[in-house]
Amino acid sequence: MFWRDQKAALAGFHPLHQALVHERGFAATQPAQGWTALIDSLYRHAGLVKRGKWALPARTLDVLVPLIIEICSDLGPKGTLAVTADLRGRDVPGKTGPERKLAVRPPIRSASEAWVVDPWLRLRGELRDGSILEILVVDRERKRKITKRNPRGKTKWKRKSKVVQTIRVRRRLPVDAVSRVPATPPPPWIGAFVREGERRSILAAAKLTRMPASGQEQVDRILSVATEPFRWTSENRGIA
Amino acid sequence: MTPCTVTTGFFTLGKCGVMAVAGCPSCGRALCANHITEGGLCPECAAARNQVGHPAAAAAYRRRTHRHRTSQEYSDAGWYTGFDSYDRAPFDPGAGANQDYLDDGSDALVDS
Ligand SMILES: [Zn+2]
Ligand SMILES: [Zn+2]
Repeated sequence: MFWRDQKAALAGFHPLHQALVHERGFAATQPAQGWTALIDSLYRHAGLVKRGKWALPARTLDVLVPLIIEICSDLGPKGTLAVTADLRGRDVPGKTGPERKLAVRPPIRSASEAWVVDPWLRLRGELRDGSILEILVVDRERKRKITKRNPRGKTKWKRKSKVVQTIRVRRRLPVDAVSRVPATPPPPWIGAFVREGERRSILAAAKLTRMPASGQEQVDRILSVATEPFRWTSENRGIA
Repeated sequence: MTPCTVTTGFFTLGKCGVMAVAGCPSCGRALCANHITEGGLCPECAAARNQVGHPAAAAAYRRRTHRHRTSQEYSDAGWYTGFDSYDRAPFDPGAGANQDYLDDGSDALVDS
């Protein structure tokens, strides 16, 4: 297919679909039907657009879409889902913090590190049970540069990188919701906290030191963390 | 009117409630037009047979897989078995979903 046909196809896609192609992200708030329209548009992409330059960013179809589909099924008729997706990746300007010198001893001559912070996904849904679900996923990369003098007096340098991911979820319960501590604690990799207030909030957080190897694993990790706040109310346990 | 008793939602659970036009030939539950999948089956029965061509059957399949997986991950047997009994429970209009909510919008989830 010619590029001009592909360009015409692109122009006919959902506006947020076009934002994903051209800006590698978007921020939008809309009810479930709006998200369904975006997803229908995204599913047409592969058949109409082949040019690499116009490909959908990584994590679009295998992470973002499945999460939006599941959460939309929990929205009320008037409820909206807000999504802020930044799928540009870590290596874009503005995500790397200042470089910091580290204390060293020979044979290391100098070392410095910088953190790259990539908050690539934020979701906020007004669920039909009256609770508010928020999900935040942030990748953090520690980049170290090390200069070393080897036994022959030659200076060598190398880079080291370590990536961790934090997944944070909060469910703000409806005003009059009855909630109680689940019978079993979450798995060790998930922490749970309660914040009291006019409306009780259940927070769950996880820090992954090994990055998910596939889109499916990434979705599963996020949904696993998001499960904890729903175990606190009996309706979601299905014991009606 | 007989309401459709298909389970909806992923984390929150509810029953469809739209007017039923048929019954599932396998489990007998009442189905609305949107919830009749291949062979006339309800989404749960279709998912149990790995027939996930219909979006509602695919959704039922994913929800079951998720409940099963996380009930093991959390060593929380009731998380799955409770869902199972909910899914088979008779329909109680007005139960569960509460549409009338207000968000006070304060302190968003801020990453630090
Ligand atoms: Zn059935
Ligand atoms: Zn139905």
